[in-house]
This record gives sequence, C-alpha cells and structure tokens, in this order.
Amino acid sequence: MFSFLFRRLLVLIPTYIGITLAAFAFIHVIPGDPILVMAGERGLPPEKYAELMHAFGFDQPLWKQYFDYVGQLLQGNFGISFVTGRPVLDEFFELFPATVELAFFALFFALLIGIPAGIIAAVKRGTFFDHSLMTISLTGFSMPLFWWALLLIVFFSGYLGWTPVSGRISAMFFFDTPTGFMLIDSLLSDEEGAFKSAVMHLILPAIALGTIPMATFARQSRSAMLETLNEDFIKTARAKGLSPFRVTIVHAFRNALIPIVTVIGLSVGVLLGGAILTETIFSWPGIGKWMVDSIFRRDYPVVQGGLILIATIVIMVNLMVDILYGIIDPRIRKQGH
Amino acid sequence: MNVETSTNQSQQSAFMAVLASFWFEFRQNKGALYGLIFISILAFIAIFADFISPYDPIEQYRDALKLPPVWAEGGTWTHIFGTDALGRDQLSRMIYGSRYSFYIGFIVIFFCLTIGIVLGLIAAFNRGFIENMIMRLMDIILAFPSLLMALALVAILGPSLENAMIAIAVVFIPHFVRLTRAQALSELGKDYVSSSKTMGASTFRLMFINVLPNCMAPLIVQATMSFSSAILDAAALGFLGMGAQPPSPEWGTMLADSRQYILSDPWMMGVPGLAILFTVLSINLIGDGLRDALDPKMKTAKG
Repeated sequence: MFSFLFRRLLVLIPTYIGITLAAFAFIHVIPGDPILVMAGERGLPPEKYAELMHAFGFDQPLWKQYFDYVGQLLQGNFGISFVTGRPVLDEFFELFPATVELAFFALFFALLIGIPAGIIAAVKRGTFFDHSLMTISLTGFSMPLFWWALLLIVFFSGYLGWTPVSGRISAMFFFDTPTGFMLIDSLLSDEEGAFKSAVMHLILPAIALGTIPMATFARQSRSAMLETLNEDFIKTARAKGLSPFRVTIVHAFRNALIPIVTVIGLSVGVLLGGAILTETIFSWPGIGKWMVDSIFRRDYPVVQGGLILIATIVIMVNLMVDILYGIIDPRIRKQGH
Repeated sequence: MNVETSTNQSQQSAFMAVLASFWFEFRQNKGALYGLIFISILAFIAIFADFISPYDPIEQYRDALKLPPVWAEGGTWTHIFGTDALGRDQLSRMIYGSRYSFYIGFIVIFFCLTIGIVLGLIAAFNRGFIENMIMRLMDIILAFPSLLMALALVAILGPSLENAMIAIAVVFIPHFVRLTRAQALSELGKDYVSSSKTMGASTFRLMFINVLPNCMAPLIVQATMSFSSAILDAAALGFLGMGAQPPSPEWGTMLADSRQYILSDPWMMGVPGLAILFTVLSINLIGDGLRDALDPKMKTAKG
C-alpha cells in the first residue's frame, strides 16, 4: 500500500511543476501590461511605473521571476488581489466553505437519487421504469446547466414564490460565521428562522448543480450493476437461496462500486466547473463566482492563485479516489498501477 | 491490371458489407434513430437558413419589443416565437443560431481529432521520455475544471466565438490523446503490426495506415460525445459573455440576453434553452447508438 502511495505521489511532482508554470505563464501571456491594468484609467507617472515594476519583480529575467514565484507559493503566498488589496489565500479560505457547502449538498442529492435509481433500473431491466429512468437521466445529462438553473428560478422562485433567488441567507440576519458553513452557523446563532432561510437559499442551487452528476450516477450504476448481475458468483449466491435484497446489495453492489467510485471522483471536477455557472446565476458567494468576477475585473493575481488552488483540490480528490480503489479492491494496490 | 480492379471491387464490397451491418445495428436503437432525424432536420434548417428565415436575425423592429410568442396571450403570427428586448425576431434568430451549433461542433471536433490522434500515436510509438512529456502535459490540462480552464484561456485570447472554440478544443484534447494512446498500445502487440514491421513498413505507415484505422471506433464515439459537450460549453461561455458576442444569434448568447427578463417575460428563455437541450440530447442519443453499433463489447446493455 505504501509503495503504491509513494509512486502515486511521485507522479504529482512533474504535474505540479507544470501547473505552476501554466499559472505563471498566464500572467505573462495575457494581453496588456499588468501594472497598467492595476493602475486603471488614471494612468501612472513613469517613475511610479518603474517603482511598481520593480516591486512586483517584473524587471527581473523570466526564469528568476518563476523561481521567486514558486518560492513565494511554497511559503503560502499566493499574491495580493489588485481589487481588494487582500491576500489571495485569505479570500480563498473565506469563500471556499460556501462552495464546499453547495457542492456537498449537490453531491448528496445526486447520490441519494442517482445510485438507487440506477440499481432499481438494473434489477428491473427492460421495464417501463427502466426505460423512463434512462430517458430522464439522458435528458439530465444533456441539460444546459445555466438554463436548468434559470428554469428552477422561474418555477420555484417566480411562479410558486417558495425560494429566494440569490445569496446564501436573507439579508435580515446578522451573525458571526465561525465555520463559514451557513447551515451550521445559522444553527449556532440562535436567530429564529435563520436556519430555515439558509436551507431555502441552498435548495435550488444544490438541485441545479446536482442534476448532471445525478444523471451520470444513475447511468453508471445501472451499467455497472448489469455487468455484475450477469457474473457467475451472483448466480451462485442466488442458487444458495440468499434473499434477492442480499444478492443485489451485498454481493452485486459491492462489486459494482469501483466504476461508481470512479465517476464520483470525476464528478468533483464537474461540480467545481458547474459551481462557476451555478454560483454566478444564484449570486452564491463561493470560489466559482469569485473566479468569474476576477476574470472580468482583470484581477490577475486572483485568477492565477485561484487556478493553482482549484487544480490542487482536483488533484487531491483524484489521489483520494485512487487510494479508495485500493481499499475497495485489494487487487489494484498489489498490481501497483 | 485485372487483378487490381477485382481486389478493389472486393475491398469495396467488403466496405459496403461493414457499412450495411453497421446501419443494421444502429437502426436497432430507436433513440439513436430519433436523434439522427432531429439532427438531420436541424442541419437542413442551418444550411437553408437564408431561405427559411422570415426576417433578418439582427434587424430590430422597434414597434414590436418583447412581443410574446404566438401561443401566449398577445402573440401574433407575424413573429411566431415573439421578439426579444430589442425587437429582433426570435424565430429568425433561432434559425440562424443553428448554424453556430454545427460550426462550433465541427471545428472543435476537427482540432480535437487531428491533434489528439497525432499526439496519442506519438506517445504510443515513443514509450519513455516523449510519452511521459505528452501524458504529463495532458494531466496538467485535466487538473483544471474544463469550464474554468476555457474561461481562463478566453481571458488570455480575448472574448470571441473563435477563441472560445480554441479554448474548448484545448480542454477536450487530453481525452482524445489518452484514448488514442491506450487503443494504439493494445493494437501494437498484435501480429499484424509485427508482420508489417518485418516487411519494412515505416513508422509513419505503421501509425496511420496500420494502427490508426483499428483505433477509430472508440474515437468516433468520443468525438460524437464531445460534439455535444462543445455545444454546451460554447453556450455556457456565450452565456457568461465570453463566447459569441452580440448581436450574433448564438443560442447561449440569446439566453444571456433573456436572463434579466426571466421573472417578467420567462418565455424569452424557453426556446433557445429547449433548442440547446434537444440538439445535445439528439447527439448524445446518436453517440449511444454509434457505441452499440461500432463496438458490441461496449454495448450499454439496453433492454
């Protein structure tokens, strides 16, 4: 297990060098002088310009700039936002819980409906339920996320008036947010109705973001289950007289888990990408909206730092999925690759 | 001379037989057939947009702003899908918008297939350093969520439909490289490749004449699925203002225009969204059918 982990971590080093190179290149290939962008419309006197060039190290040779940059990164310095003047890492940690909260409930919604639906469809293969479920999931899979989010707003917020349109909680509540997770903070706050308000704000974005993963999970768990249900050991288990429930869940589902875990792992990238659209539409103050706003504001240090931080999350999740494989299927860690 | 024509003929009839059996398999899948019909109609509309469209898609009719569609109260037959906030005919914009979907899909797939196949084959034929360089580069691209990567690339290149397509192609290429490499590696061990090598075939010939045709089936399926993803991502970029620029009637851009009216005039976002959904759904259905027909092993176990 350890040598498996070690090899897996070793491959990360060149990937990481590439990611920092890509983020470093970003600020140098972007059109326009970053100092002039920062100065905005007013412009700068030449001596001030030279001073800033020196302060940011833009007058150094490129290779030296890159090594300085990596050195700063290793010390946890991801740059300072042009717009707010605050460290990028501070802003990231402030907004990250909002995205985690949203993505967690989207994933929860997707797993809760997608996997059971896929299992039932596989067991009841060829029935009306199976066909309609596959049609629905293919439709969900083909849904333009931003349009689906707008439809949910039109129906639940506009027509029924059940849920608010944007934000994480109603503006009438003021309380400390020690954890950054609105559901927990609102429970801790003793404010009446705060928790309900937080839940109502969360429901629509979580459903919007969870729909595409849900469709993927339903399709994947159905085909993985169909494959294992045909195996000999399932026939043996049936012949032994085990209950259909035990055969389906304990014997078949455990063996169908590997492809399902793979899609769950892959869906984290999908969720983070989808969070960009969902957070923008629902004005959800997370890192997706932060990145889009920063790209539009030309706040390059934020884009640069944010790219590295988000890539780190994706890589960590992939690593965790690989380790999970080893736990679910001991054969994989023995083979090594 | 005579011999050559007869081999040519037998090759041709063999090809026709493959095509016929492919069509037989494809036809079994009802969904794929419906998808193909929808896409064919859409292609017809896109090609003959100049003749079908009742109005110019960017002409503004100032006396008919935000006119509802014909089935809603206050709608008229002069503007069947109504007009947008600037008084442009929605139906005409939809018709011209279909051209963008095909344009985006084909260009993105063209770049993904050519670059992906070349890099994938190079990686498979040069195990070791070159392979590692290529595959690590692909890992780096895959480490970023695709929409975020595309957004950052468009920020560098400047917002336009062409740059959005380049960005989407870059983001999709790693999937093609990985697939080509894996497929080529499994072919390389087979007898026909070693015998071709013994006969003195050049690496170039081995790559493109011998190995590549046997890698095509999964690549075609991947290309079909990427066609629909490209349409979705381009629409998303257009929706964020980073894709096609106004006044071009791209469907994602139309949705962005309708966004501020979703609570007052919700019908405005209905038609472009449905059009994107049906187009993407049809292409995905065709992709499912292609997978079943091209590779029985990958069959999605329908019914």
